[in-house]
Amino acid sequence: MVLGRQFARLADRRILLAYWPWLLVLIGLLLVRVSKGAPIVDLYALLSRPFWPGTAQSEWVRQAQRVEDQQRIAQLELQLEELRQGSAHPAKGKAGIRAAVISRRSEGWWEQLELGAGSLQGVRPGASVTGPGPAALVGRIVSVTPTTARVALLTDPASRVGVELRGNGSQGLLRGMGTSRPQLQFLDKDVEVQPGDVVVTSSASSLFPPGLIVGVIQSVDQQAVPAPQALVQLVAPVQSLDWVQVR
Amino acid sequence: MVDLPLGRPAMVLVSGSLALLLSLACPWWLQLDGLPPNWLVLWLLPWAVVEGSLAGALAGLVLGTLHDSLQDSGLTAVPALVLLGLWWGRFDSARRPLERSTTLGLLAILGSLGVNLGYALQLRGGGPLPVLHITLAQSLLTGLLAPPVCSLFVLIWRRRSTRHAR
Repeated sequence: MVLGRQFARLADRRILLAYWPWLLVLIGLLLVRVSKGAPIVDLYALLSRPFWPGTAQSEWVRQAQRVEDQQRIAQLELQLEELRQGSAHPAKGKAGIRAAVISRRSEGWWEQLELGAGSLQGVRPGASVTGPGPAALVGRIVSVTPTTARVALLTDPASRVGVELRGNGSQGLLRGMGTSRPQLQFLDKDVEVQPGDVVVTSSASSLFPPGLIVGVIQSVDQQAVPAPQALVQLVAPVQSLDWVQVR
Repeated sequence: MVDLPLGRPAMVLVSGSLALLLSLACPWWLQLDGLPPNWLVLWLLPWAVVEGSLAGALAGLVLGTLHDSLQDSGLTAVPALVLLGLWWGRFDSARRPLERSTTLGLLAILGSLGVNLGYALQLRGGGPLPVLHITLAQSLLTGLLAPPVCSLFVLIWRRRSTRHAR
């Protein structure tokens, strides 16, 4: 009863009329929070557009994309031929979206990039982000706004990616450590691994397409418990990334 | 330089947005070992010492919420910024001397330490992160930038403040 009276007093039109600007501010604040800062990041993208990275690295991305397109055409031709012969396999791969890195926070409490391409360009949450070279994994899209996208990097302390060694297929979990080199924890005790081995995304991973290059084993700790651990040098160093590809 | 052709609300909006945008931009020449200064602390300190505890805490709440929305780690700066706003706001009523740049620098260092300590506590010690390195680098840079930036903003807010109207 008392609560009901208090609520009725709060809902009094005069009070609402007196405080409506503050209510608007509160609603605006909540909207920005729920949209993960979309208006701020879009404003940032708009204002920083004249300072976006140059086209040199963009050209590498374009060349890599061209090679990939050619491979795709060859694959489609092969598939068409197989269709004619009645033994087709499902099509694999799709063209990526080039995006400039407009904000880089690769040190500190969280490690993320903001890209200058968003839902208007076809970027979707969950997509893989690779460097300008041959399909070197950088991270994963975690949120998008109309003109920007946020990437959680492999080096972020919250990042966990299923990976395997190219060659012997030993499975492991790549954990971000907040430094430039993430840690690979193997699942099996008996693993044949040595510095220089190539790490790729696992065929069992549900987050990333299999076979994307992640990095190279830099050092191995065979004595680690319960299974060996290794430090991985990433193929796509975040500090020098100006353009990336979203797949 | 202090008399910018902007009213108080517009100045609050523009400077607050600038603090958030600079948090995103992180120009390399304003970084120490890859870490930027804490722009939120640099904005909140002059605002709170001029406008008082309540305005400081509210500004801390708003700035912290907006800043949290710019990252997906789940960490929040809101409690630390609200407490800092409350604390710094008391300097106005206590009429403690603030014009000395060393005081502003020291308060900014303590503020940055507080925000980073808040993050470390949320991660229960920081996990695998180099907590000490991050905290010291950011606090030092924030403390170095505080005297020029905060002194200027203290003057700007005092000119526009209703509490300090002449």
